[in-house]
This record gives sequence, C-alpha cells and structure tokens, in this order.
Amino acid sequence: MQSWRRRKSLWLALSASWLLLVLLGGFSLLRLALPPRPQPGASQGWPRWLDAELLQSFSQPRELPEDTASPPQAPHGGSCNWEACFDTSKCRGDGLKVFVYPAVGPISETHRRILASIEGSRFHTFSPAGACLLLLLSLDAQTGECSSMPLQWNRGRNHLVLRLYPAACPRTFQLGQAMVAEASPTVDSFRPGFDVALPFLPEAHPLRGGAPGQLRQHSPQPGVALLALEEERGGWRTADTGSSACPWDGRCEQDPGPGQTQHQETLPNATFCLISGHRPEAASRFLQALQVLAALQEMSPARVLALRQQTQFLWDAYFSSVEKVIHTTLEVIQDRIFGTSAHPSLLWNSPPGALLALSTFSTSPQDFPFYHLQQGSRPEGRFSALIWVAPPGQPPLKLIQAVAGSQHCAQILVLWSNERPLPSRWPETAVPLTVIDGHRKVSDRFYPYSTIRTDAILSLDARSSLSTSEVDFAFLVWQSFPERMVGFLTLSHFWDEAHGGWGYTAERTNEFSMVLTTAAFYHRYYHTLFTHSLPKALRTLADEAPTCVDVLMNFIVAAVTKLPPIKVPYGKQRQEAAPLAPGGPGPRSKPQAPAPDCINQLAAAFGHMPLLSSCLRLDPVLFKDPVSVQRKKYRSLEKP
Amino acid sequence: MCASVKYNIRGPALIPRMKTKHRIYYITLFSIVLLGLIATGMFQFWPHSIESSNDWNVEKRSVRDVPVVRLPADSPIPERGDLSCRMHTCFDVYRCGFNPKNKIKVYIYALKKYVDDFGVSVSNTISREYNELLMAISDSDYYTDDINRACLFVPSIDVLNQNTLRIKETAQALAQLSRWDRGSNHLLFNMLPGGPPDYNTALDVPRDRALLAGGGFSTWTYRQGYDVSIPVYSPLSAEVDLPEKGPGPRQYFLLSSQVGLHPEYREDLEALQVKHGESVLVLDKCTNLSEGVLSVRKRCHKHQVFDYPQVLQEATFCVVLRGARLGQAVLSDVLQAGCVPVVIADSYILPFSEVLDWKRASVVVPEEKMSDVYSILQSIPQRQIEEMQRQLFMEPARRENWSAANHQMNSLIWPREQRDSQIINDRIYPYAAISYEEWNDPPVVKWGSVSNPLFLPLIPPQSQGFTAIVLTYDRVESLFRVITEVSKVPSLSKLLVVWNNQNKNPPEDSLWPKIRVPLKVVRTAENKLSNRFFPYDEIETEAVLAIDDDIIMLTSDELQFGYEVWREFPDRLVGYPGRLHLWDHEMNKWKYESEWTNEVSMVLTGAAFYHKYFNYLYTYKMPGDIKNWVDAHMNCEDIAMNFLVANVTGKAVIKVTPRKKFKCPECTAIDGLSLDQTHMVERSECINKFASVFGTMPLKVVEHRADPVLYKDDFPEKLKSFPNIGSL
Repeated sequence: MQSWRRRKSLWLALSASWLLLVLLGGFSLLRLALPPRPQPGASQGWPRWLDAELLQSFSQPRELPEDTASPPQAPHGGSCNWEACFDTSKCRGDGLKVFVYPAVGPISETHRRILASIEGSRFHTFSPAGACLLLLLSLDAQTGECSSMPLQWNRGRNHLVLRLYPAACPRTFQLGQAMVAEASPTVDSFRPGFDVALPFLPEAHPLRGGAPGQLRQHSPQPGVALLALEEERGGWRTADTGSSACPWDGRCEQDPGPGQTQHQETLPNATFCLISGHRPEAASRFLQALQVLAALQEMSPARVLALRQQTQFLWDAYFSSVEKVIHTTLEVIQDRIFGTSAHPSLLWNSPPGALLALSTFSTSPQDFPFYHLQQGSRPEGRFSALIWVAPPGQPPLKLIQAVAGSQHCAQILVLWSNERPLPSRWPETAVPLTVIDGHRKVSDRFYPYSTIRTDAILSLDARSSLSTSEVDFAFLVWQSFPERMVGFLTLSHFWDEAHGGWGYTAERTNEFSMVLTTAAFYHRYYHTLFTHSLPKALRTLADEAPTCVDVLMNFIVAAVTKLPPIKVPYGKQRQEAAPLAPGGPGPRSKPQAPAPDCINQLAAAFGHMPLLSSCLRLDPVLFKDPVSVQRKKYRSLEKP
Repeated sequence: MCASVKYNIRGPALIPRMKTKHRIYYITLFSIVLLGLIATGMFQFWPHSIESSNDWNVEKRSVRDVPVVRLPADSPIPERGDLSCRMHTCFDVYRCGFNPKNKIKVYIYALKKYVDDFGVSVSNTISREYNELLMAISDSDYYTDDINRACLFVPSIDVLNQNTLRIKETAQALAQLSRWDRGSNHLLFNMLPGGPPDYNTALDVPRDRALLAGGGFSTWTYRQGYDVSIPVYSPLSAEVDLPEKGPGPRQYFLLSSQVGLHPEYREDLEALQVKHGESVLVLDKCTNLSEGVLSVRKRCHKHQVFDYPQVLQEATFCVVLRGARLGQAVLSDVLQAGCVPVVIADSYILPFSEVLDWKRASVVVPEEKMSDVYSILQSIPQRQIEEMQRQLFMEPARRENWSAANHQMNSLIWPREQRDSQIINDRIYPYAAISYEEWNDPPVVKWGSVSNPLFLPLIPPQSQGFTAIVLTYDRVESLFRVITEVSKVPSLSKLLVVWNNQNKNPPEDSLWPKIRVPLKVVRTAENKLSNRFFPYDEIETEAVLAIDDDIIMLTSDELQFGYEVWREFPDRLVGYPGRLHLWDHEMNKWKYESEWTNEVSMVLTGAAFYHKYFNYLYTYKMPGDIKNWVDAHMNCEDIAMNFLVANVTGKAVIKVTPRKKFKCPECTAIDGLSLDQTHMVERSECINKFASVFGTMPLKVVEHRADPVLYKDDFPEKLKSFPNIGSL
C-alpha cells in the first residue's frame, strides 16, 4: 500500500514534470526540428540585447566637468584659421575697409582698372592704418613682373593676396597668415573658412558689367543633346540619351554614344556639360562608370529647370566680370567679420544676390523688396510721400492735399532744397508732415532718411500734379511689384546709330524703359543702394547734371531687377500741361530729355546697358470701357 | 537559464517541509526536472552561437556572451588619420552602386569583445548609447545584412568616448575587421574625443582612411567634405519632455547654464550679469542640495535653485561655451529648449554644418569678444531673433518625425544617424541630394512661402514665338476660321490641333487652311478636357497659347500684344476675359463671379498664354483628384489651371485688354437664364472643391490689367504698335 502510494506519487510527479517539460521545451524542440526560414521583409539586424537596459552610458556624469584647456592649436605652424590669423579688432565701426597696395612701376591696363574699381568701391580706404584688410594684387601673369614683400606685411596678418590668374613667378616671400584668393586651389593648401576659392578667369574676362547669361529659355528645348563632354583639346562631344546602357562595373566597351564633336569657342548646345577638371580624357570613362546619363535622365523637369536658372543667376551675380569676382571676395570676408549681421544664405543664393542686397540695410529678408514670395510675406499697406521742393520753391499745397487724401498715405516728408527760408505754415493734413532741410543737392532726394518709416516711397517733385485716385491706383500696383519702380511719365532709350551711342527721349512712344522719379513709387531700399553702393563718381555726376538722376535711378533698379519699370495711366498727360519733368526752374510744355551724354557715361560705368523696354501700361480693370461709370472704382482717372 | 536557476532556489526551500522519507524521491524528481530544464535551456540557447541570424533567438542574447577575440600584441595598427582624405581619394564609390533607390547600404559588424594577450579587455564592450545608435541604423532603410552589398561599414567597436578605451589596442581591433582595407568606407562615431591634458579635437585612435562622425571637431582636424560633425549627446534631452514654447520675448535675455566653466570665463559672464542685472542669468552647480535630488537636474544662482533643463526655456539666448572640448552636450539641451544658442568656441565645427545653416539658428561669437556678447546680441533685430527661434522648432519637429518608429530612442541619436547617412548619401549621389531648402526650411515657412519654379527674371526673346494649341471636337468650320485668324499673328511659330473626337477622323490634309507655320494634328485616346494641357513633344516654344475652336473675335494685334505681355511675365497666366472669386458670407463658401468688376483673380483659358512648364505641372503634379474631377465634370479645367499656377508662383494673373467675354457658355443665351445659373453654380462648386484640395485659396486678386502703352491715348492711331484692340 505504502509502496503503491509511493509509486503513485512518483508517477504523478514524473508525469507532471514531463508535462511541464513538454510545455516549456516543446516549442523550442519543434522549432529546432523545423529549421526557421528567414521571414520575408523582416530585417535580421542588430540584436536586441537582453541586458540592454543594464549597459552603461558612454559618459559618466562625473566625467563631464572639464578644465578649460587653451584653445586648440594649429597642428602645423603654417596653417591658419579665421580666429587665429585674422584680427577683427581692426574692423570695428565701418565694417570692412580695404587698403590696396599701389602698384610699383609700370602696370598693365587690367591692373590699373582693377585698382580703380576697388578704389571706387565702398570698401576702399587710402590709409593702411585705418584699413582692416590689406589687399595685395598679384597679377603676375600679365606683366611678367613679380611683386616684392610689401611694407605693412606683418607676417601677412589681415592681408589678402588676390591671384586672378595662375601665378607665373616663384613666390618671393612666405604667405604666412595672409588669406589667399585664387582659382583652383589644391586641397592640400586650401584652408576652408579662411582662404577664398575663385573661379578661373580667362584673361579676356570683362572687367565690369559682363555679358549677361546666354540662357534664353527657362526650360531646355526638346531635342537638344542632354550632355556634352569636355574633350582634350577644348572641344566638346555631345552625348545623347540612348547611350547609357553600361553595366555597373566601370568596364563597358562601347563608345559613350553617337556623339559629335564641336569645336572650341562655341559652348555646346546641351542641357548638361560634364567637366572633369584636369583630365578631360577621363570624362568618357567617368561617364560610363558613374552612369551620369542615367542619373541625368532620371532628374525631374522641375529640378532641371531650377538648376538651369540658378546657373544663370550665379553667373550674373558673381562671375560675369572681374569686378564682381573681386567684390564677391570682399563681401565674403566682410560676412566673416560681421558674424551675426552677415548676409543670410537666402540673400546669397537667390536673385539679385548678395552684392546687390546689402546686409548693412537689413539682415531680415522681409525688409527687402525681393523676397516676399519666399518669405510668405506681403509688402506693407502704407507709403511715405517724399516731396522735393527745388527753387523757386513754393510749398506744393495742392499736391500735399491730393497725396494726403490717399487712404494708404502714412506720412509726408518735404525735402526743402532751395535758398528761400522755410515757410512757417504748412497745410493741415490727416497724416504727419515732416520738413527736412536739404543740402541743395539732387542726390539728397535719394538719401535713406531715417524719418522714412514705410517700405514704399512716393517720390514727388513739388511741381508734379497728381490726383488722389491716381496715387491710390499706382500704390496698389506697386504692392504687386514691390521690387520695381511704378511711375506715371516715361522715357525710352535707344541705340543711336548716327552717333554710335545710346540716346533717350521723352517723346511718347510705344515702348518705354524708364519712369520719371518726379512721380514714382519705389522701395526705400533703393535709397540705400543709391547712397551706399554707387561709386561716388556717379553720385557726383547726378549732382552736376540734375536731369541725369532719373536715368541713374532707373539704371540702378533695372540692374538689380533685370526687369523694366511699370507705367500706370496719368490723366493730365493729354493736356500736355503738366511739368513733371525734373530740372531747372521755369515752366515747360512737356517733359524734356536731358543731355544724352549722361546715359552713355552711366552705361560705361555700369559696364553694360541694364535698361529693358516694356510695351504695356497697367490700367484699372474697367479703364475707359464703355460701361457705366458707376461700376468703375477709378473713374476720376478717366476725366479729361 | 534564468528559469532553471529559479527552480534550483525554490527546490531546497521546499525540502524541509517534506517528510524525510520522501526526500530521496523528490530529489530524484527534481533532478530529472532540472535535467529536463537544462536540456530545454540548451536547446534554446545552443543554436544561437552557431546561427546568429535566426530571428527568434536574436531576441534573447546577453552582451556578456558575445564572442571574445584575443588581439596579439604585435597585430597591425592602422596609420593615423589621413588628413588629406576626401571623398574622391579615400572613399570607394564603386561599392555603392547596387541599390535601386539611391540609398547607401550600411553593414554593421557583429559585436565582439576584444582582449589583449593577458585577457584584459580593450574597452567596454558597448555603451548604452552606441547600442541604441546601431539599433537605429539597423532599423533604418540604410541597413543591410549582406556585407557584399554594403557601401558603408560600421564597426561595433564602441569609440564614443575616448577615455573609456585603450587607444593602441582599439586601433588593432579596427585593423582586423574583415573588410577594413585601410579603413575605406568605414564610419566611426565619436562624441568625446581627446584626453587630458591637451584634448585633441578628433579621436586619437589611429584610423587611417575611416570616416569619422565626431563631436567637437575644430577647423584643424575636420576634413571638409569627408568627416561629419555631430552633436554631443545629452542624456537629459532624452529623458525630459519640455512643453512647446513659441517665439517671442522671454524672461531672461541671456543665460549661462554650464557647470565646470573655466574660472576666467565665469568671471567674464558674471561681470556681464553685474552690468546688465536681471536680464542676464549665470548659473552654476548647486552646493547644498538635499539627498536624493539629482544634481544634474538642478542649477543654482546664489541660493536660488532652478530646474534644469527647464530653465533654458526662460531665456532668449543661451551661452554654449567651449570647455576643454569644443563639443558640448549643453548645445543639445539648449536646442531642445528652443533657446537660441550663443556659441563661443573658436574654430568649432558646428554639428552637420555641411548642410545645416547655423546662421539661421544661432549666434557665433569669437572668444575674444566674449565681454561684448551682450551688446552684440542686443544689436540683433527682434524679427531676426524670432526667425531663429522658429528655426529651432524645426529641430524637435523633425526629431519627432524620425523617432516615431523608435520609441525607446527619442533622443538626438536617431535623427543623427539618419542625418549622417543622409549626408554621406548626398555625397555619393550628389544629383539626388536633398536641397538646401529641404534641410533648412521649417514646414512653417513652407506654408506661407512660395518657391517660384520660374524664379529667374528673364524676358524670353521675341524670336522664339509661341505655339497655339487648339482643342477641338468636331466644329471644323469654326476651327478653320480660328486657324486662319491665329495664323495672322506675327509671332506664331507652330499650330497644334488637339483632335478630341475618337469617333470621327480629322479632315483630310488637303482641306485644312494653308498657313505659313507648321500645323500638326494630335489625336487623343479619350475625349478629356485635360488633353488641352498635356505637355506634347510637339511644343517647342516656351510660350503656349491655349485657344478654343470658337474664339474668332480676337484680333491679330490683341493676340500679338498678349504674347508681348507674356514675355514680360513669363511665369504668369496671361489671358483676356478676367473672372473673380468672392467669399459668400451668407453661404460661408467661395463664389464664382463673372460680373464686370474692378478686380480679377482668374483668366479664362479659352484664350490664354502661359509657360509650357505648367502643362507638365497640370498633367503630372496636379494635387489630389482635381484632374479626374475636371474630366468627369467636363468643366473647370481653366479654374484648375488658374489655381495651379497661382499656387506654385504666388502671383496673380495678368488680364490683357478690355475683353470681358468670349462667346462663352456663361454669356450665351441659348437656354436662357436657367442654364446660366447652373453653370455658375457648377463653377462655384469647382472653386470650393479646389480650395479644399489645395488646402488654401491660392488665387490673388488684383485691380489692374495690361493695355498697350498708348491705348486710348490721344495719339495718331497709325503710329501705335497695337492699334486694333477690340472692345469688351
């Protein structure tokens, strides 16, 4: 009995334990018996460690407090970075001031003109002591002479050595702490964030202005070759689309495609150009190995479109002339000095580019007229009227009333610019009226007065005559085109074959390219550009020939926008009684064109003719339509 | 194993309660059970070491059980880091060609424990962070377990902190990796480089050509275009969830929260505090905290105690000052808190600076100008500060997106690895690279802003001309009249007839009007309105004139002038009759308006000039089901085009000349008023439908139209370029 019970309990225990075993181990045994297949899609990645939670952190809190060691030192004596080798303390105040070493002995024409271009720029100073950057032009390839160590060298501290062309002569002194700006620097010697890489410039590169980009179409033309390869002797071979059937091993036998070779001067008519640095012969192999063609074919039309336009923008903004290359170099260095008030990247990388969007004006893109779309912002809804009162100087009471009557007018500024004493009484207006006592100079009209508190400026001459609804409509139009000038009266330029130069006229024509600034809306940023970025010589020109100032303003805006101005209707025009034209005293029967020489001087100074013609006028939607005047919002525009 | 240990313990505990005479049986019994369990355990763990790739056992391994590798003292050491390395010299791109989706493939070496000849370990096997980092890689699209297909190799040897490893032996461990090959295509992660006393700014372990993703690079050690600079991980950022705080002024202007600062720097900061009072707060570690309070989570100023990192949210600017190392974990905390970092660390390469625009989200101040830092910051306009703050919010937002899949690791590490791989990916496939905007523009900016696809100011030459596209069904007579009229326009360069009738053949060649430009007929497969906007290969000009087969009233001058206007506005729709959308306050929805108003926001495409790129957009990039809606309703294709162009360019249409109507459906009085009204209702419905699909109302309202300069001026007609402009 005892043994039976003992045996029974033994069996019970045994079977229970085996049951347990089966439960615990059965599944594992089963899985062992059926070899597991890798599950489709399931990644057999990094193991999930059982003790992952127990792992130690890579840094223990007690490790963190650190002694401050001295700043990291350069590993080699010859190396430099911005903090170590540039003394920004010399650049306080005015930002970048550049002193250029004068050339010793006879110099080439190019050298002379580059010097002149820097001397005319806003960066230049004549005193080496007051300069924060000392510029050494190294143009050896041109004259064959080699520069010697300059006087204020000081181991090259705060120096920039500008090499526009490959150096022909041996380096006569150590560059030391000087920054080097040159084309195709080698990886070994280039110090990122310190040296500046320049584009390689052909010797015939224009000094100023420069040819505009050759892109005529936003999008590639159908049927044009996709890719052109640079060949050994400067020619181009175009490769077409069908030839990308190379296997990925870099060893395909076939020719890079039914190509044709074009020669030298003309750039190939292709969407992409493959440039392979020092080894053009490697290009075709490169093409095969990297399946460049396949990659380019895959690229979406939107991306191709963007790339094409960006190349043109970069060319126009920074590459097309020697002057632009030099100014870009200086602007890059100035941005390093400015630190927080440097150009935001948007200003560098979208039209009109950092040379034309001054960071001294603002570092906030919304303050400029160019970036409202990218920023998702809108131009302000108010404007400031700036009325210039030249001799004989009657307070323009009627004009003030008409302008102040506009619901968009925020303030009126009167620029008193004549010998007569300031009148003590001014009309009562709904908006604040400020009188500025000017310096009797025409360039005063475009000074960035701090009293101007709106983005939009309505620039007026005291003798202009405008109605409130003309002002209202023109301002609404300006809000749609805040980067352009919106004016009432126009001038147009033309090429004068007889005189072999530019001319312009105030005659009424089917096209126009300028608007008179005696009645025009534009962004206040153009006052900053006029005063702070124009070479001084041009501002002097405007002061000496006051009629030239309209042309000059139109040049500036056209050079920045690359677009024509906008004309809106002007009621008085038919009467031919409105002396809107600038210039000396006395009534005029109609706007008169100033001396044509002004336009040629400006075209020479800008390096090209920036003006563009427009054949349209923006009118109110129902302008002069045979519908009831009750429907029309701007009916007074149509009154004779 | 664990299970068996448990039984083992419970076994003896039970025994004293049993009668001694049964003892022998129970011992036998438990021995059998024990044996069985051991066997089970064996089965469970034994295959593991042989087939490590089996899914079901991968889950249950211990770090302590990884294979041990002994490194002989004389095993090879890699060269020191090659400073001249660049992608094209030290990286083998040929390894990266096997993947279809332009993603590089990353392989991770199996984890091993390395010991020297004496069995002393070379380093900690793996840290928590490195384990999580490798886990993140293996969960990402970049991961591959096939070493032959990999383009990038990540060793599992943990070098995050140089101080926890033996330099020479670690280097030897790297050199014996199966695909080491001088370190080409190998990626190492390091956050705390260097060691006392001089703290190198890059990992001291000799690594030859291996890429280094390092925290705290300086310009001296960073190989531009080769190495990747990463942030130093802060454990706090992972633990603490900070509430979102919008841009705007905060309690403190400038805050310093770092502990262990160099006394000289602390003096400078405290001098600032004395000078500027309340707006500057300089914190230090707390000296007399009660027990149990985590000292890393508290900061003190005099006797005031602040919670860290919460206090960072109270400041506009936060100082990130260099210590012995350039990279500081506090940068991560500051970013997370939405405080604009003021980085004072000369020659520091900021994290991901290759792609991230730190100018937009931080202020970098040279060390020598530290005493001026307050005035430098004061000179920054409020608007710019708010832009920076907005920019910072992008960081956490992106972090959330990327880490949603990985709950354990919502720290910086996950996106960091994504970014590293993405940056290297961009270098290998530059043409498929993410653009600057995609890296840097926060979604908030994207919402209101527009990046116009035709952004270059360019007036196309007149010589190019335009292609007229006439959509027709069967009105042959009217079609021929349109063709004859349009062919009189000087700048016409080609005429394309889209024959939308599948049941009827177009007239024979001989019947077509003889015109001076090429005329092509395209037959369509289906009678769809969207055929009018298809980007046909036959369109060789950029300018397209869409014209209905019954628009015969437009004069040649009017069409030529329209083309000239398009040249001045090549990114806009330039059309004749204008239409307007209005908000109906009673119905609370949009309404279509064809009355003669002072405003326009659309032009009819019965005759309109536009850039051919918009045909591509209409056909391939139209959002939602708009295209199908248009084809199903046989209406509103013009409204859809107006929406599309306005949405992508952010600009208004240009209405040209007085025209108010064509012989258009809404103006014909064939079926009288009722048809007119249903038409208007349908058009209004379209506007509401499209606005909801676009998620916004992109149309822009303007009050101007374009006329020739001398239009209706008192001027001799014969001297005008476009004298024959029709009316209404």
